[in-house]
Amino acid sequence: MTGSLGKSVVLWSVVACGLVILSAPTLVVLGASFTAGNIIAFPPEGLSLKWYSRIAGAGDLWNAFQRSLYVAFVCTLAAIPVGTLAGIALAKYAVRPERTIQVYLLLPFTIPLIGSGIGLMLLFGDLRLLGQLWPVGIACCVINLPFMIWAVMASASALDPELELAAASCGAPPLSTFLHVTLPAVVPGVISGSLLMFILALNEFLVSLLLVDARIVTLPVHIYNSIRSIITPDLAAISVVFIACAAAAVLLLDRLVGLEIFLKSK
Amino acid sequence: MERMKPAFRQPQAAEDRQAAVSVRGVSMVYDGVHAVRDASFDLAQGKFLTILGPSGSGKTTLLRLIAGFLEPTSGEIFINGRAVSAVPPHRRSIGMVFQKLALFPHMTAAQNVAFPLKMRRRDARTIPERVERYLELVRLGGLGGRRVHELSGGQQQRVAIARALVFEPDLLLLDEPLAALDRKLREEMQLEFRRIQRQLGVTTINVTHDQREALVVSDEVIVMEAGMIEQNASPLDTYRAPATSFVANFLGVTNRLSGVVTSLDGDRIGLLAGDHLMVGAAAGPGGSLQIGARASAAIRAEQIRISPDLFALSGLETVLSGTVSDVIFEGDRVVYEILTVLPETGPLRVFDHDVGSRRQYRAGDAVHLGWNARDLFVYKADPEPAATKPDRGD
Repeated sequence: MTGSLGKSVVLWSVVACGLVILSAPTLVVLGASFTAGNIIAFPPEGLSLKWYSRIAGAGDLWNAFQRSLYVAFVCTLAAIPVGTLAGIALAKYAVRPERTIQVYLLLPFTIPLIGSGIGLMLLFGDLRLLGQLWPVGIACCVINLPFMIWAVMASASALDPELELAAASCGAPPLSTFLHVTLPAVVPGVISGSLLMFILALNEFLVSLLLVDARIVTLPVHIYNSIRSIITPDLAAISVVFIACAAAAVLLLDRLVGLEIFLKSK
Repeated sequence: MERMKPAFRQPQAAEDRQAAVSVRGVSMVYDGVHAVRDASFDLAQGKFLTILGPSGSGKTTLLRLIAGFLEPTSGEIFINGRAVSAVPPHRRSIGMVFQKLALFPHMTAAQNVAFPLKMRRRDARTIPERVERYLELVRLGGLGGRRVHELSGGQQQRVAIARALVFEPDLLLLDEPLAALDRKLREEMQLEFRRIQRQLGVTTINVTHDQREALVVSDEVIVMEAGMIEQNASPLDTYRAPATSFVANFLGVTNRLSGVVTSLDGDRIGLLAGDHLMVGAAAGPGGSLQIGARASAAIRAEQIRISPDLFALSGLETVLSGTVSDVIFEGDRVVYEILTVLPETGPLRVFDHDVGSRRQYRAGDAVHLGWNARDLFVYKADPEPAATKPDRGD
């Protein structure tokens, strides 16, 4: 009698619990950023936008944010051609050691970031690239590339192979077939992968920490440095800006290609 | 409308009599399996050929070999006298309509039709006019701006046809494009293919497992089974004189019989089934039947006469009695299933097209059956157990 009611009460409580746990950090930071007081606290003491005006006027923060944007652009620009081609190749062709390549693609996740960070630091040090910003973008691209590849693979494996045969029978040589048929079909995957790469690079902390020096800190590293001295509510305000960036990317993604493909990309 | 019609292909001059397509001893082996085994045929300019066979018979493989998507293991294919094995598909002048149509989803109907012209670097100024002309040919005039997903199934078929024909290919290939359509639309599109093919005179090879389609649209039919060409003839001859027992059973609704040869008199064969003597006609390669050897025989459901009265069948060379076991009303005909005394034979299916007839049999009625000797095709016994028959022809 009450069995189904009981079941739905339990289910909904679990869902509500999950939602609260997932969103709690965001809500706390959001609340704390609007505090009128001088120390970071939740619930906030009063409401004001003063910490937002403070960060808007802070030149060092803006510079760090712009550097983070630059890193994210470099990372995305590098990831688009590499990830697109690799994703199409893995989805379409019987690449010989396919399993090996899949495992290799997982390496960035299985190796702790601190490990890859140190490796990249040594490598870039040998190449005398440390102290510049663009190698940080490349490093972010290297460690997050699997996301790009998977997003493209999801699109490419949904591509009907007969489309490429049809292009050939229309007289299209292989390169034209690729440009006119294969590439347009994977564009949704490329868009979702690119936005993901952009956000991941924008937020990337640990690897950046190892690769930047004091003159070229990115925003997450800047925040970290600030936390070590004194925790003020402007950090919460910065975090909210970050969250807003991520939310904007997700909305953009939904607008451009719909979220389904993003959610399907493993 | 008349002046908009795409240019007719002139009937080829006498010196241009070479076959449009010539397949010479082509075999295709994948992973040790012979998908196509030593296939050879010639197709004259402007003809409509259908390759008919059950799934797995190698018909699609043969089509893909001609299209250039596969390379034959041995043998050679000539298109207009030119050997094409070394020519990649995009350099062969072949239009193709695919099973799933393979229209480019990110383009409009008109962009799909324009694509082959762009790829073949036709003069850009002439493209829009030509695209519109071909859209009108397939009765889609004015719909060029629609996206592919905004078109109905039948309209998508038409776009695919226009895309395959717009560059005036030497050859049109159809890879079961009608298989996914419902019956009514399929029959409409069969006639549409026929109309367009006749209007343009383009040499066409169609692949299907639908015997009705093969008979309706084609000038010539090739029946394939297990990678081999069983028969290559006109639709009428394929139906009337099936060369092998596979062809006899694949086309039409056919009853399968078997027996031992007791007499050979020219084409007339005496066949003993149990203790019943039947008279049939030798079919297929001559000289393969021997007295005392087993033979298989086939008779079409429409060639068997049925009567309650034995004397009504007195002119027929074979007569036997049986009992009605089932009556199936199919609208334009009644199918009777008749249990007979013949051994190793299921109920015989017999058509009665005179649906309004006052004679209606019911299950359990005793009846007599009879047929003419020329309607019972007798073949050398099948080496293997009977090949499975596809669905009853609709």
